Amino acid sequence: MIRREHIALLTIALILIGLPVAVFSYELGVRPSQAAHRVIDVTAAAPEAGGFQPAHVEVAVGETVTLRFRSVDVTHGIAIGPGLGIDLGHVDPGHVEEITLTFDKPGTYTYYCNTWCGRDHWRMRGVIEVRDPAGGTALGVERDPVIEALIAEGVDIDVRLSHGDSSEHVSEQPGVSPSAGRGAEVIAALTVPTDLRDAAWRFSHTPAQGLALLREANPEQSEDVLADAIAHLWLTEVSPETVALYDKNCAACHGQTGGAEGPIAATTAEEPAAFADAGYMWEMRGDVLYAKIRRGGMGTDMPNFGTVFTREETRALVDYLWRLAFDGEGKPLHGGMPPEH
Amino acid sequence: MSGIPRTDLLTRYPWLKRALQSRAFQPTLMMVTLAVFTLAILTGLFGTPAGSRNFGIIFVWIVWWALLIIGIVPLAGRLWCAMCPIPAPGEWLQRRGVVERVMGRPFTRGLRWPRRLKNMWLQNFGFLGVAIFSAIILTRPQVSAWVLLGFVVIGIALSLLYERRVFCKYVCPVGGFIGLYSLVAPTELRVKDPAICASHRSKDCVTGNERGYGCPWLAYPGSLTRNIDCGLCTECLKTCPMDNIGLFIRAPGSDLLKPKGRRLDEAYKAFIMLGCALLYSAVLLGPWGWLKSWANMQTPGHWALYALGFITFVLLVLPGLFWLVAQLAGRAGDQRAGARQLFVDYAYALVPLGLAAWIAFSFSFVLTNGSYALAVISDPFGWGWDLFGTASFPWQPLSPRLIAFLQAGALTAGLLFATRTAFQIAREHSEDARQAFRAALPVSMFLLVVTLAFFRLYLG
Repeated sequence: MIRREHIALLTIALILIGLPVAVFSYELGVRPSQAAHRVIDVTAAAPEAGGFQPAHVEVAVGETVTLRFRSVDVTHGIAIGPGLGIDLGHVDPGHVEEITLTFDKPGTYTYYCNTWCGRDHWRMRGVIEVRDPAGGTALGVERDPVIEALIAEGVDIDVRLSHGDSSEHVSEQPGVSPSAGRGAEVIAALTVPTDLRDAAWRFSHTPAQGLALLREANPEQSEDVLADAIAHLWLTEVSPETVALYDKNCAACHGQTGGAEGPIAATTAEEPAAFADAGYMWEMRGDVLYAKIRRGGMGTDMPNFGTVFTREETRALVDYLWRLAFDGEGKPLHGGMPPEH
Repeated sequence: MSGIPRTDLLTRYPWLKRALQSRAFQPTLMMVTLAVFTLAILTGLFGTPAGSRNFGIIFVWIVWWALLIIGIVPLAGRLWCAMCPIPAPGEWLQRRGVVERVMGRPFTRGLRWPRRLKNMWLQNFGFLGVAIFSAIILTRPQVSAWVLLGFVVIGIALSLLYERRVFCKYVCPVGGFIGLYSLVAPTELRVKDPAICASHRSKDCVTGNERGYGCPWLAYPGSLTRNIDCGLCTECLKTCPMDNIGLFIRAPGSDLLKPKGRRLDEAYKAFIMLGCALLYSAVLLGPWGWLKSWANMQTPGHWALYALGFITFVLLVLPGLFWLVAQLAGRAGDQRAGARQLFVDYAYALVPLGLAAWIAFSFSFVLTNGSYALAVISDPFGWGWDLFGTASFPWQPLSPRLIAFLQAGALTAGLLFATRTAFQIAREHSEDARQAFRAALPVSMFLLVVTLAFFRLYLG
């Protein structure tokens, strides 16, 4: 009888003490020890509720780590950049997504949410700091020649053109929406100056400036025809990956079609730029768009994407913005003038 | 139903009698549920806040609830009370033992429960308190865990202060409605021959002996007539020296027809349960998004309005309407009973319908969300475990048509059962069947209207 009582007491002790001990031993001891490498658990919550925890992770060069993301509130989208091409997709509440990585050189990477998750979604970021234990820290701000050139030129990257505020540029603007589709049909009949054929020139000039150049070479042509030709010249091929990048990271504010009608457009400090507004884009330079994307906009709620996208991805995004502006006829992803033109 | 012969299962199945007479019977059940309960608390406190991926939420509010309301209560009444882990720590402390009968003074101040509280009112208000916060309690693992832990703490405190299981009998909000609906169950633990008890002097079932404790539910089995007063702990089966305790199969709902035990607090429990089933169905299954937002406490002001409306409907509107119906029934049947008695008596006709409504309501979320159980059993904390390879099991709701079919079946059965009960209660107050039929008509109409409201909510 006493033995039966002892067994009962032991069973109760196992339940009340043994069970919690077993659970936490397994989670904190056994699981990590079973893993072939370090496991870093990252909790994802809406920024208003704390964002990523931890928001800063240190990894040694050559170390293999598993990053394990779990959402505790709403569905988040987890991606890591720049240049890693990692997109874990949606992480639903209570679900876990993980990725194992080995970093072979020092640097800084960003894990970020790319699914709109709340008012401050764009703040939801974390940093992976990859350090070389032998070489000390090799981190620093990477210089970007495009942005440096703009600063040297004295261009105010933060200058903002208001939508519908194009009256001061009337003389430079076409009367109708320029169409790259129509431009493709007329371009062969036009004399295109060398500068306009140069992608680097187009990148650092506005379509309005391009129109002025084209007008000089083709004084007999109407403004509409020339504007269509400019629209055609400003378009380059855009990959589906770039479109997906825009849809995931930009569309929440700027809208999927660039109409500034994204679900959180109304909540940002300033109205997001409408890339589908050809008048707005007519006065915009590619390198300024590039700089705005990489650096973000002071006080506008436009986040910096320089820590998330590679320069190539950023350039590709700028190319896509021109498509949103000028490719008003079905927006085919391929076609237009290849970059070397 | 009354044609079902009363059968003593313990006489028919001696092995069952031996099992129930064993002192290990109840502690074994309790330890199993205690293990699940402990895991539910741990997952609630430390697991993912996402309810659908948390063992605590899924196993308490879907798996346990389904087992309780669709299986255990309708078939075995208070059987859950015999295995519930919540009062277990308090009872074991009080007894200074788990399995064996420990002789001597129990570890408690042994106070008597106040006479004024010897009823179901505390349980009624406790249930209402939980009910108005239910949108939070039932979906947020941490809140759920703290509430359950709170029940355990109250259970322990009351065991150390008061004699026996006053927590279960007078305080536990769950025990209250289980008790009410156990009146419907087709099983009962009763004495075989009351005359033997009457002539037996030592009353071991009340005082206890070396084989077991005196009834923890403060009942005297010799005069036990309704399941509501029996926690099925089987102590009397162990202590009775006269072998006079049986476990009987009986006509379902026969306790509803015992006028002696009917009380206003129990009648109100019937209104609270029926009203809550209606309101839960409206909030959770109805097309009114704003109502759900109010219940979810998104703004304190709206929630306060919701809570006020909830309480008013359950405590005033529904009983008020039924009061009129009961008086109408009395007039239609020329019944002489007082207004209060008619109100209380006829309220017991709501019990089968209320149980059916809860079963129907439970079908909607249990059969829709039950598949989560497979995922959380492999990953109880939502930490990325996969203990049994089912962590990625997808959410697979059952066909809405099947659910609607089951709901319609449960509600129809409940309506028929309730209408029959209304007639039988009317018969108690009437001289003949025709009078009873006239009296039962208004009550039956009320039952029909309530049932149609449920049909409207469930089937659109």
